[in-house]
Amino acid sequence: MTESKTFNRVSTAILTVMVTLTLLPILLIIIASFTKETALLQNGYSFLPKEWSLDAYYYIIKQGSVILRAYGVSVLVTVVGTVGSVLITTTLAYPMARQSFPYRNALSFFVFFTMLFSGGIVPSYIMWTNFFHIKNTIWALIVPNYLVSAFNVILVKNFYSNNIPGSLIEAAQLDGATEMQIFRKLVFPMARPVVATISLFTGLCYWNDWTNGLYYVDNQKLYSIQLLLMKIMNNIEALKANANLMGAGAVSLPGTSVRMAIAFIGILPILIVYPFVQKYLVEGVVIGAVKG
Amino acid sequence: MKQKVKKKGSWKQILPLFLIAAPGIIYLIINNYIPMAGLFVAFKKYNFMKGLFGSDWCGFENFKFLFATKDAWIMTRNTILYNLVFIIVGTVFAIAIAIMLCELGKRIRVKFFQAAFLMPNLLSWVVIGFIAFAFLSAETGFINKTILAALGREPVTWYMEEGAWPFILVLVNLWKNAGYQSIVYMASISGIDRSMYEASVLDGATKMQQIFRITLPNLKPTIITLTLMSIGRMFYSDFGLFYQVPQNSGALFNVTQTIDTYVYRGLMESNNIGMSAAAGFYQSVVGFILVLLANWVVRKLDADNALF
Amino acid sequence: MKKFLAILLAAVLAVSLFAGCSGSDAASGSEYDQVVYAYATFNNIPTEEALDEVEEAINVITREKINAEITLKPISIAEYSQSVSLSLQGGEKIDIMESLGDFNNYLSTGMALDITELIDTCAPETKELVGEDWLAACEYQGALYGIPDYKPLALTPMIIYRQDVADELGLDMDSVTCIEDLSEIFAQIKEAKPDMTPLAIVETGNVGVFNLPYGVDYLSDDYNQPIGVLIGDDMTVQDFYSTDLFLEKAAMVRDWYNNGYLMKDAATTTSTSTELMASGNYFGWIAAYSYPEADTAASFVSQCGGYPLGAKTLDKAYLTTGGTNAITWMLAANTKVPEAAMKFLNLTYTDAEIANLIIWGIEGRDYVLDENGNAAYPEGQDATTVPYTAQISCGVVGNQFIQYLPVGSSYESLEWELEQNRTADVSPAMGFSFDSTNYTTQYTAVRNVLTQYLPGIFCGSVDPETEVPKMIEALNNAGYQDILAAKQEQLDAWLAQ
Repeated sequence: MTESKTFNRVSTAILTVMVTLTLLPILLIIIASFTKETALLQNGYSFLPKEWSLDAYYYIIKQGSVILRAYGVSVLVTVVGTVGSVLITTTLAYPMARQSFPYRNALSFFVFFTMLFSGGIVPSYIMWTNFFHIKNTIWALIVPNYLVSAFNVILVKNFYSNNIPGSLIEAAQLDGATEMQIFRKLVFPMARPVVATISLFTGLCYWNDWTNGLYYVDNQKLYSIQLLLMKIMNNIEALKANANLMGAGAVSLPGTSVRMAIAFIGILPILIVYPFVQKYLVEGVVIGAVKG
Repeated sequence: MKQKVKKKGSWKQILPLFLIAAPGIIYLIINNYIPMAGLFVAFKKYNFMKGLFGSDWCGFENFKFLFATKDAWIMTRNTILYNLVFIIVGTVFAIAIAIMLCELGKRIRVKFFQAAFLMPNLLSWVVIGFIAFAFLSAETGFINKTILAALGREPVTWYMEEGAWPFILVLVNLWKNAGYQSIVYMASISGIDRSMYEASVLDGATKMQQIFRITLPNLKPTIITLTLMSIGRMFYSDFGLFYQVPQNSGALFNVTQTIDTYVYRGLMESNNIGMSAAAGFYQSVVGFILVLLANWVVRKLDADNALF
Repeated sequence: MKKFLAILLAAVLAVSLFAGCSGSDAASGSEYDQVVYAYATFNNIPTEEALDEVEEAINVITREKINAEITLKPISIAEYSQSVSLSLQGGEKIDIMESLGDFNNYLSTGMALDITELIDTCAPETKELVGEDWLAACEYQGALYGIPDYKPLALTPMIIYRQDVADELGLDMDSVTCIEDLSEIFAQIKEAKPDMTPLAIVETGNVGVFNLPYGVDYLSDDYNQPIGVLIGDDMTVQDFYSTDLFLEKAAMVRDWYNNGYLMKDAATTTSTSTELMASGNYFGWIAAYSYPEADTAASFVSQCGGYPLGAKTLDKAYLTTGGTNAITWMLAANTKVPEAAMKFLNLTYTDAEIANLIIWGIEGRDYVLDENGNAAYPEGQDATTVPYTAQISCGVVGNQFIQYLPVGSSYESLEWELEQNRTADVSPAMGFSFDSTNYTTQYTAVRNVLTQYLPGIFCGSVDPETEVPKMIEALNNAGYQDILAAKQEQLDAWLAQ
């Protein structure tokens, strides 16, 4: 017991150091976003800036309701996308893990192959816009690219193979359960740890995505928060890069602290929401552990 | 017995399984396989108005630029070596973090730790580039202005110091990804049968013995799968890491140039779709061959853990 | 809502009254040609409602004048090129588009329509306005593919500097007539104010010294990465990096760096010149602008922390093909309404109302005019809060000289700028465009070599005596000479015509 305690102490100590090192850089940009622009350039980046300022946030808040709406779009897309993705991923992985399914290797290969080869954006764009007409709909943010990730499918398949004994499934079959029933009542509930994991991955992926919006959305009402922030950021960069091309002087460029503030605003909701979501994730993991 | 197996493989048995997987299969066909027609662009002299099928073939013309210079060796070497280091170091750290977090159980601080480790993964490479700059800038950087100044040392122009960058890049990559990767291992650890630990405690095993005798062997399938998947991406590099983080500094090209940055720098102005498709095709094919080889080896040694 | 309607009504009325005055009595048929106009905006993308009103105001004019209805498609500058090319390939309708420094790409990929004849039939006014010289820059193999944006094109390299510091130290800025003269000034600053860095960068990896030196024609290449240039009237394509002009400037910048005149981070910093200036630690920066000295300096004051600024010209302006066709308006090769599109393009060059609707939006709602005829945002509003503005795109949409100037700029300066356009020296290779399609392999390798070495040399952070020879060797390995030879060959063929 004491040995276990020592181990816990040492682990906590190591993790504390690592977490501190992980968070310090993030803290530095958060502080930079609250630092007065000129102080940043005069005195350098510092955890204790000489002059504080909220200018960067005023600049962003001026965008006003657009930002709130974009948060809403992001939440909707993340929730719908994640639920959809988990359903499709867990079902797709199921036959791959069944020893009695003769095409399981072929199916694995079929899935894995998509990780390696891609035809580029042009054919995808033509297909989604011309045949599925998803341009400027909310589906444009959900459907292309992220609904199934080969990586997640393989994770789930592995979990099924390693943690769900074939004997259980056979027993259920003898009881006359259909495949769908076995999946719904037996396999899916047992897969909670891995479902928690891929939900997190998929959720982060949808939350962070801005490329779908960039390609398939012109309408500002459908901007996600990351797309909105990306556009602000891109515009700043483009203005900088083209200042000469334009020959224009009178362009006021938001400075470094605005960019830092943009980064902070993008991760802020996750900082707030994560502890709540995490409860379910951790429970999923722990319940899996108890059952296994 | 044989008959029974055959019967199991009958359509009546297989069809429901196919139906369950159908949404996923259909999605992959639409989202991934149909657009693969775009791979042909790699062999075409692409003209927008003629379109994909109308453009003229040009054989391997588009591939030439990848091998035309002696930089080809540098960028290939960098891409492979960094990937190798990332796979090894990343896996070790991810597993270490996962084991420590799992051992600590359900405490509040575990939640905090886990959330903290994930934070860097939420930042885009552009932002991480800014953070790196905040630390490394010669004139305003935290390291030069605060740490080195406090030590009374001369400031260093970090973006010119070739020797430091392999370490910086590995560190930044680890910082961004280790927490994320550890989640997969946490899920696997929680899937391990608890009774194995209980039995080992009765045998008087120490924590470290448990880790090396139970946890790590049980993680083997996960490690193998993740490594196989990484090998498929062996010829790809994380563009942001190698472009944004070193601020495109020319003095560092020997240690920061990878296939992706080379292609980007060369084509960013000419916007040549054929050549960028060719680069992607080349990276994929090599990755594909490597994965087939690796998977073949795994299959020989341990058939259960092969990808396919 | 009522107020909103009232403004709308007023705007529509005002516009239609104006349109009525122009006396056009074009057919009032119900069928109008539909034209999509895709332009790059540096401002926020407006909401659809806000955009609809601007479109309607434009349509009131275009229905009358050219029997067409216009759809505006503002696209953020950062994704403009990619978005246009995706849309064209995806079969979405875009009829009119512009190049942003990548005109040759539109040509080599076949996206632009040959408008040699259309311009005569549908846009004769624009043809006359822009003039043969500039149009030549958009020709390729004898056919015309675009119309250059009409704006102050003659960029004059100058230094924008802290007037208060110059006064305090008694610096004789009038004596400065070229970049080399600055060494003396910087030395004085460094001596009097050791904490001040005399020269800030203009953009990452560029201290401005090599920007558009007089008499150098980059022959279609990016001025940040020239590959084979013409100097003066000599029609031999030269290796820029072996010229005295380059080597002397490189040595000078290296001296500046060693003496502490330049920031150590110049090659990698993410800060812009104005941010740096606002910090108060810098004396000035060098860049090329198209406005008179005083106007240019004045336009930067607020961004540079409010310090008083001066500006001094360092060189003469020099017009080349690449500088002229950087922003070029084109018709899409697959447009179904080439005539209507050309006519609308013509209006953006000649009709002040249309130009101002695109740039400033609707009067009263998006901007107001003061007694001098300068436009400003309505009380309590700014560029980020008005429903519609594309003000920063003033230099990339049609004819800049017919747009309202923002408050703070004077209409007199326009005269000066027009004069500059007319009198600037023109490269003897004006109108020649290099076709690099068969040299993409070499270009890829050469660009990589240049990105590796140039920022360091441009910013003085490496020693040109050792690095330039290394770079030239690497360039030659990368196929540099092939490109020079090809340029010479194409140039000779062009001259022979």
